[in-house]
Amino acid sequence: MGDTLTKVKITTAFEGKPNARALKTYVDNGGYAGLKKAFTMQPGQVIDEVKAAGLRGRGGAGFPTGMKWSFVPKDDKGPKYIICNNDESEPGTFKDRYITECNPHMILEGMIIAGFAIGANKGYIYTRYDFFEEIKWLETAIREAYDGGFLGDNILGTGFKFHIDHYAGAGAYICGEETGLLSSLEGKKGQPKLKPPFPAISGYLHRPTIVNNTETLAAVPWIINHGAAAHKTMGTEKSPGTKLFCLSGRVKRPGVYELPLGYPIEKLINEDAGGMLPGYNIKACIPGGSSAPILTAEELKGLTLDYEAIAAKGSMLGSGAIMIIDDSMSMVELLKVTVDFYHHESCGQCTPCREGTGWLANIMTGIMAGQGKKDDLQRMFEISRNMEGKTICALSDAAAMPTKSIVTKFGAEIADFIERGKRA
Amino acid sequence: MSETVTFKLNGKDVTVPKGTTVMEAARRENVEIPHFCWHPGLSVAGVCRFCMVKVEGRPKLEIACNLQATNGMDVKTDTEEAKSAHKWALEFHLINHPLDCPICDQAGECGLQDYYMSVGKYQSQMTRPKVLKPKMLDVGRDLVLDTERCILCSRCVRFEEEVTKTGALGIFDRGDRAIIGTYPGEKIDHNYQTNLVDICPVGAFTSRDFRFKQRVWFLKDKPAVCPGCSTGCSVDVYGKPETRSYFRLKPRKGEANGHWMCDKGRHMYSHLNQDVRLRTALTTDAQGRRKDTNFAGAIEDLGKRIAAVNPATDVALLVSAQHTSEEYKSLFDFFVGELGIKKVFQWREPTEKIDAFDGLLYRGDHNANTSGLLSALKEAGLAAGLKNEFDAVASSGAKIVIAVTPEVPSTFPSFEQQLNRLTELDFVSFWTLAGSVADNKKTKHAIPMKGFPEKKGTFINHEGKAGKLDSPFPCPVADGRDLTEIIAALKQWRHSHGSR
Amino acid sequence: MAVVKVPLPPIDSNVFSAGWGYITTIAAGMWKTLAIFTVQLLKIEKTNTLEWPEQAATYSDRFKGKHFLTLRDDGEVRCTACFLCATNCPADCIHIEAGNHPDNELEKFPVRFEIDILRCVFCGYCEEACPVDAIRLGPEYAMVGTNGGKWVYTKEYLAERKQLSGGVISVKDENEKHPIVEAPKGSRNAKQIKSYARHGIH
Repeated sequence: MGDTLTKVKITTAFEGKPNARALKTYVDNGGYAGLKKAFTMQPGQVIDEVKAAGLRGRGGAGFPTGMKWSFVPKDDKGPKYIICNNDESEPGTFKDRYITECNPHMILEGMIIAGFAIGANKGYIYTRYDFFEEIKWLETAIREAYDGGFLGDNILGTGFKFHIDHYAGAGAYICGEETGLLSSLEGKKGQPKLKPPFPAISGYLHRPTIVNNTETLAAVPWIINHGAAAHKTMGTEKSPGTKLFCLSGRVKRPGVYELPLGYPIEKLINEDAGGMLPGYNIKACIPGGSSAPILTAEELKGLTLDYEAIAAKGSMLGSGAIMIIDDSMSMVELLKVTVDFYHHESCGQCTPCREGTGWLANIMTGIMAGQGKKDDLQRMFEISRNMEGKTICALSDAAAMPTKSIVTKFGAEIADFIERGKRA
Repeated sequence: MSETVTFKLNGKDVTVPKGTTVMEAARRENVEIPHFCWHPGLSVAGVCRFCMVKVEGRPKLEIACNLQATNGMDVKTDTEEAKSAHKWALEFHLINHPLDCPICDQAGECGLQDYYMSVGKYQSQMTRPKVLKPKMLDVGRDLVLDTERCILCSRCVRFEEEVTKTGALGIFDRGDRAIIGTYPGEKIDHNYQTNLVDICPVGAFTSRDFRFKQRVWFLKDKPAVCPGCSTGCSVDVYGKPETRSYFRLKPRKGEANGHWMCDKGRHMYSHLNQDVRLRTALTTDAQGRRKDTNFAGAIEDLGKRIAAVNPATDVALLVSAQHTSEEYKSLFDFFVGELGIKKVFQWREPTEKIDAFDGLLYRGDHNANTSGLLSALKEAGLAAGLKNEFDAVASSGAKIVIAVTPEVPSTFPSFEQQLNRLTELDFVSFWTLAGSVADNKKTKHAIPMKGFPEKKGTFINHEGKAGKLDSPFPCPVADGRDLTEIIAALKQWRHSHGSR
Repeated sequence: MAVVKVPLPPIDSNVFSAGWGYITTIAAGMWKTLAIFTVQLLKIEKTNTLEWPEQAATYSDRFKGKHFLTLRDDGEVRCTACFLCATNCPADCIHIEAGNHPDNELEKFPVRFEIDILRCVFCGYCEEACPVDAIRLGPEYAMVGTNGGKWVYTKEYLAERKQLSGGVISVKDENEKHPIVEAPKGSRNAKQIKSYARHGIH
C-alpha cells in the first residue's frame, strides 16, 4: 500500500476551477479521456477493471460496484438501463450535490462508461427536486455533451449509442433507495420493490438496470483513466480509493472533504476542520448519515474512516455524512428529530416500518410533552430491535439503528428527561 | 414431468415443483405460516412481513411468500426467533387498529383475532394514543370502508389491478397516515366488489348487504354451486339452520371460478328466505275456491286431475333450467317415459343473451343447468333447443300444464309477466319457490320446492363440468320438496289409486 | 315377574294404648302456636318473615335480578348490538336485531333488544360478556306477568325503568376504559354500581 493519507482529488478535481462546469474546462483538463480509453477495451474488461479497483458503492451500503455490474445478464439483447442516483436525501449528506456543482460531466462520463460496460443505451439521472441550481447545471451539461458528441447515437464515432435523460424526483427520502427510485421513475408511488428479483435482473420497466450513486459513477472515469492499480494505492486494502466526507456540526470549518478511506477521524476534525468551535466539546458523532448508529466521543478515539473500522465499532460509514454532536445538544431532541424524520418518510408499505416508526415518534412526542413512562426506553429498544431486518428496504433499519444506539448509549440522559419531564 | 425440488420444512422433507414458494409448499403440507398480504389468487406483495421463517444458514428471517424453495434448504417456522417475529408483526399490525370488534362484522372470521389466538397472546406495549382515520366511507354500491381497521396489506389494491383490471383503489399518503381509497369523486363500480370483503383479512371492507345482519359465529356454511349463471361458481352458503334463514354466499375455491364470484351471485340467497317463499301448497276445489293444503293434499289433487285426462295429449310440461340433472332425469322418466307426454317446453328468459360474458365469471345464460336440461331432454328423446316456448305452451291445447318455474325469479326479469300469462290457461300446476305465485289470485295449484342449498344433485356448467350439491341445509318450508320427491309422491299416489 | 313383599311399617301402639294421650299432645301443640302468635302479634320478639309486598327484602349486592340496559348521557342505550351477551347466554334468551345508527360516529345499535325472561336463568353471563357495560342484572326480584307477551322484555322496557332501577346513566366515555360510575342518588343498587366501578367492569 502506498501512503494511505495522500489526498488525491478524484471526484472533486474541479473544485474551485474557474468556469469549472463547462465542457471545455472538463475536456481541457483530461475529461472524457476515461471514456476514450474505455472504448479501446472490451465491455467485460471495463467491468473487470472496476472490480479490480475495488470501488465500492458510495451511496451507503458499500456494495462492490464491479460485482453489481457483472450481475447484468450479458446475453440479454433487450434494453438495459443505467441510473444515476442523485437523489441525495440522507440527512447530513451533501456530497453528490457538491460533485454536481464541481463538474457534472464527470457523472455523465461515468454513466457512459457504465453503459458501455453493461451494454445499456439509456441512462437516467434522478435528482432531488430541491436541487434547483444543480438540475439546471446537469441539464446544461447533458446538452453540451450531446453537442460535443459524447452522447447520442454514435458516440465519438465508435457506433456506441447512449442517451441520458434527467428526471427530478419529488423530494421523498424513500426515492433515494434503489428500488423506490425505480418505482418513482416508472411514474408510480415511490415505494421500494420486493427483492428478489434484483434490479440488475429486473429493474426499471422490468429490464436489467444498474442504479449507482453519483459519487460512485464520478469515480469511474478516473479508475479507467489511471487504472485499477493506481486506485488501489489509496485507501485501505478492503476500502480502496477516496471518499467524500460531509462534516457538519459545531466545528470550525464544516464542509465536504475528499479524503482517502482509512483517514483518522480525529485528524479530520482537529486538523482539516480546525477543531471544535470554542466552548464546545464533542459529545457524540454520527459517522454515516442519520441512519448510522451513533458513536460516543470515547469511541471516536483512534477510529479510521473506512467501512471495516466503523463497522467494527458497531456503526457504519454510510454516505459519509459525519455529524458532530456537541455537549450543548440534547439527546432527547436528537432522537425526537431522528424518529420524526423516519416517521414522516416511511413509505408505509411494510408493517414493521409503517407502524414502528410511527410508534417511536409517538413515544418521543409523549416524552417531549412530559408524559414519558419509565419503561419507554426499554419499549423503544424492543420496538427498534423488532423493526430491524424485517422489511423490504432498509428504511426500517435506518430508523431502528440510531434509536437503538441512542437509547443504549445515552439512556441515562433520556431516563433523566422522562423523570423530570424536561431537560436537566 | 416438471422439475422438482426437495427441501426441509420443520425437519420434514418436502418435494414440490420448482418455482414453488415456501408459503405455497407449507400450505400444501398443512403447515400454518401466518400471513396477511399473501393471497393465492393475487401477486406477491411481501408487505405485511408476517410470514417470517427461519432458513438455516441465513442471518435474517425471510418472508415465506417471496422465498422460492431450493434443494437442500432447511426452513423452520417454529423457532423462537420466528415465533417472536410473528408476535411482533402482529403487535405492529394492532397498535393502531381500533379494536372495535364488538361492532365489526369481520369479528369471528378476522385474521387479527385468529392470529392473536394462535401466535399472539401478548400484553400490548402500546401506551400512546392511536392514529385516527376516516371510518364508514362509501366506496361502492356494496361496500363500506373503514380505513382505521385497515392494515394496508394491499390485497384489495392488487385485486382491483390484477383481477378486475379497474385499478379503482389506491393507497394514498404514506407511513402510518396511509389510507386505502378510491380516486377523488370516483367509486368502485363493477360486479366483483364483494370479493374485496372476502379478501380483506380484517374488517376494513364490509359488505353493505350483510352489514350488521348477523354475527358470523352463529352461521353455518355448506358447500354448494351458485345458481346465478351458467359459470357454476363453487360457493359456500351461510345460513342459520335454527331459524331456517340464509344470510350470504361466499366463493369457495373451485375450478370454474378460482377464488372469486360476482356480486350478482352473492344475492342468490335472498330468494331462499321464508318471507319471499311459497310456504304452503295450494289447491282449488271444484267450486273454484282456493285453499292452502299440505304436500300430500296437493299431490292427491294433481294426481286426480291427471288421472281424469289422457296424459299423453292433455298434459304439457314447462321446465326451467335451474334445477339439477338428477331432478330432470326423474321428471322426464315419469312424464315422458311413463305417461308418454310429448309436450315438453322450456321456460327461458325471452331477452337473455346466452353467449354474453363479462370476461371474468358472469355469463349471459342465467341458468345454472342449461347443459344438464339439454342433455336430459335429448336423453328423453325430445328436441332440445334454447328458446323461450311460452307461446307454444299456450297453443299446445294441453288441459293441464305443469310449470317447473325458475328457482331464482330475480334472474328472470319477465318472471311475473310470464306468471300472469300462465295463470290465464285452464289449469297450471306451479312447482316453485317463489312466494309471488301464491300472491297471484288466479293461481290454481302450486307445490313449494326446495332451493339449491337444500337439495342434492348436479349442475352442469357451460363447459360441461359438473358441480355437486351434496350437503343440504334443512328446508325452511315444511312442504318443500325437490322434483325427484314430487315425482316419487305422484308415482306413489298413482300406484295406490290403481292408475297406470 | 318376582313380587317383592314390603312389610308394613310397625304401628306405634303407644299412641292408641295411652288412651287420651294424643289429645293432650294436640293441646300442647295448640298452646305453643297460640303463644308464638301472641308474641308476634304484640311484637315482643323480632319476626323472621316480611310483610311482602309492603315490606321489601334486602338482598345481597351480588343479587342478580331483572335485567336493565344502561344509557349514555345523551339518553340512548349504551348497547352496541355486538351480540356477545346473546352468544354467551346459556339459555338462549336474548334476541337482538342490529341496525345502522343514523349517527355515523356510533355505527351500530340495537333496533330490537329482547330478553325472554321465562327462559333466563339469571346466570349473569350477559353482563360479564358485555364490553361496554350496557346490560346489568339489577336488584329487582319480583316479576309478574299475565300472558306470554309480558315475559319478553323489550329494549324500551329494559332501558327505561327509571322509577325502578333501570335507565341508569353511566357516564363512561367511549374512549375511557375504566370509568367511575356515579350511582343515582338514593337508588338501591348504588353500592352495587360502585362495586362495578371499583372492579373496572366495563
